[in-house]
Amino acid sequence: MTDSDPLVRFSGVRKTYGTFEAVKHLDLDIGRGEFVAIMGPSGCGKTTTLRMLAGLEEPTAGEITIDGRVMNEVSAHDRDTPLVWQSLALFPFLNVKENVEFGLRMRGVPKADRHGRAMLWLERLGLKGFETRRIDQLSGGQRQRVALARSLVTEPRMLLLDEPLSALDAHLVIRMQGVLTRLQKELGITFVYVTHSQSEAFAMADRVVIMGHGEIAQIGRPQEIFRAPRNRFVAEFVGRNNILPGDKPGHELVVAADRMQVSASDPGEGALAAEFLSEEFAGTGIICYFEGPEGVELKAQVTEDQLDDLSPEPGQRFWLNWAPGAAHVMAGI
Amino acid sequence: MRPSDIAFRLYLVALFTFVFLPILTSMVFSLNSDRFPTVPLGEVTTHWYETAFSRPEVWTAFGNSLIVAVCAAALSTTLGFVTAYTDFRYGFRFKPAYLALALLPPTIPLVIMGLAMLAWLGRLGISGTLPGIIVAHTVMGAPFAMAICRLRLSQMDPALEAAAWNLGASQWRAMRAVVIPFCLPALISAYCLTAAVSFDEFIVAWFVSGLNKTVPVMILEILQGNVDPQINAIGTVVFLTSMALVIIAQLLILRKTNA
Repeated sequence: MTDSDPLVRFSGVRKTYGTFEAVKHLDLDIGRGEFVAIMGPSGCGKTTTLRMLAGLEEPTAGEITIDGRVMNEVSAHDRDTPLVWQSLALFPFLNVKENVEFGLRMRGVPKADRHGRAMLWLERLGLKGFETRRIDQLSGGQRQRVALARSLVTEPRMLLLDEPLSALDAHLVIRMQGVLTRLQKELGITFVYVTHSQSEAFAMADRVVIMGHGEIAQIGRPQEIFRAPRNRFVAEFVGRNNILPGDKPGHELVVAADRMQVSASDPGEGALAAEFLSEEFAGTGIICYFEGPEGVELKAQVTEDQLDDLSPEPGQRFWLNWAPGAAHVMAGI
Repeated sequence: MRPSDIAFRLYLVALFTFVFLPILTSMVFSLNSDRFPTVPLGEVTTHWYETAFSRPEVWTAFGNSLIVAVCAAALSTTLGFVTAYTDFRYGFRFKPAYLALALLPPTIPLVIMGLAMLAWLGRLGISGTLPGIIVAHTVMGAPFAMAICRLRLSQMDPALEAAAWNLGASQWRAMRAVVIPFCLPALISAYCLTAAVSFDEFIVAWFVSGLNKTVPVMILEILQGNVDPQINAIGTVVFLTSMALVIIAQLLILRKTNA
């Protein structure tokens, strides 16, 4: 095994439940020290993929290898793949320290050693002084960190995360994203992060895997996926994209909302005439929605100042255009 | 206070009076020096307790009841927990039938249950023995234990057990380290409740007990002979014992539901 070999390899993995195909066909390599986000709408097979990696589901076909070792027959408790659960799944009858020690206890680590390692991780995650607290006495963010400490205390090579931030308030999500990316860099271990939130995936991951209908729709760096979606499914899932008919049959153009320019008068150069529908405040700017030629929905991101200048009324006519390099061409599918 | 509130309170008082007055009366007469239950009352005395508990057969009956209750409760709780866990953990084709069968015993008329038990235990050759009564009471108690364990398991995040596997616990280890600790209040509660069910149970025990009488069976035998305030004394002890068990069970159920 060399460092350039992938840590995890899915080859031809399929998972069916009765007649339902949760994962149709999956070929995926995950490198050492990589932060990979698996993203997709609910029911796309992302959680099943993660559970197969943790040994909680057995693939119907295909092979999963970790460090070159075929894992299909290895049961969950013999794997070194701790998971941070969506519900966190902290043990309510144990206190904070006992929760963190659990994995060490199951692996037969002596008591004194357990204590030392648990305390180290509690301190590292800012939970010092909370050792004897009950789980129901902690805030959401604190519980999150207990769950992280519990998974990391055994010093795994890989951490699996299943939508761990979905229950947190928006401001805590941003903070936990920082905690997670910093931890991943410091530890240098692989993170496999499953989420339906593109902001989480794009903010943290080195590489994003978009799944749809049990298959990989696209793999790439966040920018690639955002700027150059491979097909309509990805473009629509990522959102904030305009999908327009291309020059050739079967071709489509993708223009990101923030590259769409809105003008009150026709600037020529093939600008699209569109009627204003509504606007939506979106944190980084304002998304304006228009109805373009043949009823196609168009989106353009504008600043507050631009919105004041345009002061659009529903039904008012505008022209939308984009710089020649701003459009990405999708061929086929 | 609004009139409806007052009415509601009065209703509650009336209800509890109706339910508990006969038992309370029995308690009062157990401490009354008069031979017959009449008003006005005589002096306060513990005489009836002393005479009742100086009889060796009373002690034997209490001993029998205790052994039966302890064993039947342990078996019922184990059986009930295993049944409830099977329901929680696995999906299978005949699950509704499985659950219906598991919950069936309390719907069988007790006389029929007693007769059936007598016939069946007779064939097994344990009719009239303590193990025979234990078997009968286990059958009667297990559905209650199962109901309590199911309630608790329904409050358990299914990810909890998987989280234990994920952290290196084998299935058995996860059962011991996670499922049982999580269900512990329910298990204790089920144990107390099934012990109370067994301790109080008369009809089936009457059919199958033979010479090894439990307390309720013995009470009937004394009653058949004569009316004696000793019965009140024994009854009071029985009532307090099962009440204590039921109250412990209830406290545990309520506490865990709030947690």
